Amino acid sequence: MTDPLNNLVILLCAIPLAAGLLSIPFTRRPLVARTIGLVSFTTNFLLALSLLVLIQPGEDVLVNNLGGWPTAYAINLVFDSLSGLMVTVAGVVALGVYLHSFTSLTPDVERRYFHALMQMLMFGANLCFLTGDLFNLFVAFEIALMASYALICIGATRVQMHQAYKYVVLNLLASTVFVMAAGMTYGIFGTLNIADISRIVHEIQAAGDPMPTGFTALGVLLLFVFGAKGAFFPLWFWLPDTYYTSPIAVTALFSGLLTKIGVYCIMRTFPLVFAVGDGFADWTIWLLAVSAAFTMFYAVLGAVAQSGIRRILSIHIISQIGYMIFAIVVMSSYALAGCALFVVHNMVVKSSLFLCCGIIEQHRGTDHLDHLGGLLRKHTYVAVLFFIAAMSLVGLPPLSGFFGKLVIIHAGWEDWWWLAVFALLTSPLTLLSMLKIWSYGFWNPEVRAMPGHVAPTAAKLRPAYIGTSLLVAVALCLGLGAQPVFRVAQTAGRQLDDPTAYITAVLGPTRPDLIITPPPDAGVVDVAATDEHHHE
Amino acid sequence: MTIIVAFCVATIFGTGLYMILGRELKGIAMGLFLLAHAANLSIIAMSGSPITADGIKAPPVIGHDVAPADALASTVDPLPQALILTAIVIGFGVMGFLLSLIVVTGRTSHTLNIAELARHERQSPFPEPEEGKPRVNAHEHE
Repeated sequence: MTDPLNNLVILLCAIPLAAGLLSIPFTRRPLVARTIGLVSFTTNFLLALSLLVLIQPGEDVLVNNLGGWPTAYAINLVFDSLSGLMVTVAGVVALGVYLHSFTSLTPDVERRYFHALMQMLMFGANLCFLTGDLFNLFVAFEIALMASYALICIGATRVQMHQAYKYVVLNLLASTVFVMAAGMTYGIFGTLNIADISRIVHEIQAAGDPMPTGFTALGVLLLFVFGAKGAFFPLWFWLPDTYYTSPIAVTALFSGLLTKIGVYCIMRTFPLVFAVGDGFADWTIWLLAVSAAFTMFYAVLGAVAQSGIRRILSIHIISQIGYMIFAIVVMSSYALAGCALFVVHNMVVKSSLFLCCGIIEQHRGTDHLDHLGGLLRKHTYVAVLFFIAAMSLVGLPPLSGFFGKLVIIHAGWEDWWWLAVFALLTSPLTLLSMLKIWSYGFWNPEVRAMPGHVAPTAAKLRPAYIGTSLLVAVALCLGLGAQPVFRVAQTAGRQLDDPTAYITAVLGPTRPDLIITPPPDAGVVDVAATDEHHHE
Repeated sequence: MTIIVAFCVATIFGTGLYMILGRELKGIAMGLFLLAHAANLSIIAMSGSPITADGIKAPPVIGHDVAPADALASTVDPLPQALILTAIVIGFGVMGFLLSLIVVTGRTSHTLNIAELARHERQSPFPEPEEGKPRVNAHEHE
């Protein structure tokens, strides 16, 4: 934990912000804007990756108190294993998607501040992942959302205008509730620093006192907020209608980043704060469990019923979120590690599937399965990319989806076997919907091209292929090299389950009165031991 | 004092929710504005009553006849007000966006009624060859 490293964390937010502002004057010069964007996304990813690697040996937590304000008064950025993992993977997803966008965007759309908006979305997302302050989290949400509002309407086609209001209205409602919840948190605890709230809550629990009045209500309010952003079961209705309308690069980035921010925020705030105490275990957790089952199973049924690739993939996003909620319901350190692993896998794989869909659209002019066919023979490379990504999504053993699902189901089998059954039932249906795309699009005999569609040149398609290959390669690495990634995820899970390290790092060793005593069993935990380590 | 603010919050929130459930996009936007106000008011209520046994608390301005040591005893808590200020500024931007979105939606589809919008969607195939998305999604959106 050296000082320079702590200060580097701010760059993860500053680089996208600076690049975004810098690219505004160059809207009419796409080459300059693209170069700025590429440099920004690449440095962002490499910086996050190297910080993540550097903190691993000591399981450090990097904290940057903005403005040099004293601890617990400053708004702080916290880079621990979980947020580091998220920022890194978000960085590589954004890089792949950005490369792909050079092919798929029309110049008209690109001129409408596309590059600046992408950078702002990245800035907001990184701030969401890194911030250690509840109100700052709201601000970060708003930054990311504002960019996403503009991106979802970019191009202003009729279908986008028809659907965009659903997204905007629902997110506005969620933001309003978030402001209220943040204000109430301050009213109850007198602080908005997540580590500080966590310390207070743990002290109350250690003393055996009841939680403050309204604590459970606060948890449920935040659950509504994050659930709406993450498309959990009763609040998912906006997603399938809005995601498929935007340009494919935007859809791919949204599918990789936005819903996962909701899941991440639950992973960050609930084990640390709102799941402490009895109120959560008594009934909030049942709310989540039912939501997980419906999210997984209903959504995959919806996906099987669709006949456009974009819509199948859009509804699939929701189904995969169900697995993450399942892991959150179990809430042991092992399950949270599985959740982190699954989120990482899902961000990469989901985006690469959308990017494959983008290439198919470039080739054939449509994503409707009735108008596709013969892709396997004619565009073999796309077929290979799609196959790897699709099988990762289904969770075929050597590929990345398998490990996340394995850990989550393994962790939840004891206490939540019925959820595990739903998770297992969802997998074959996922396979079915992927096979639907595969057999209609790739195996069927070739059909007549769409009228008026002009096949793109190889040079135009090159960025799309590079971007998609990058993401598929990362997905392959996540599968074949699952061990090191899982080790990081385990550190993340451990730090969430036992927040002592997080609290100590944020509030500082200089104030021993602020540090809670660690529970007796908080040593090195291996996979078999963590399995029995559930929260009650 | 707190109970009065609480009733105000409840009334505004209820009105806002009622308006959100309507079918007119303009009404929904107005409902959202009201909800934002209710949220801000609720933060004020959470920051505690300004009326104490000694009278009304002073505004949180350092040097306003207040010794900084016991500032919170005699002045109101400044942080909730800072939160509200931030929320208002952000809300202002988002509202501007929402209103312009509604204007554009009205221009492209000639209606601001949600039921009408949904019917348009079901009936008309989407004419956008330049996006490469043909008439696929029209008939499956029920």
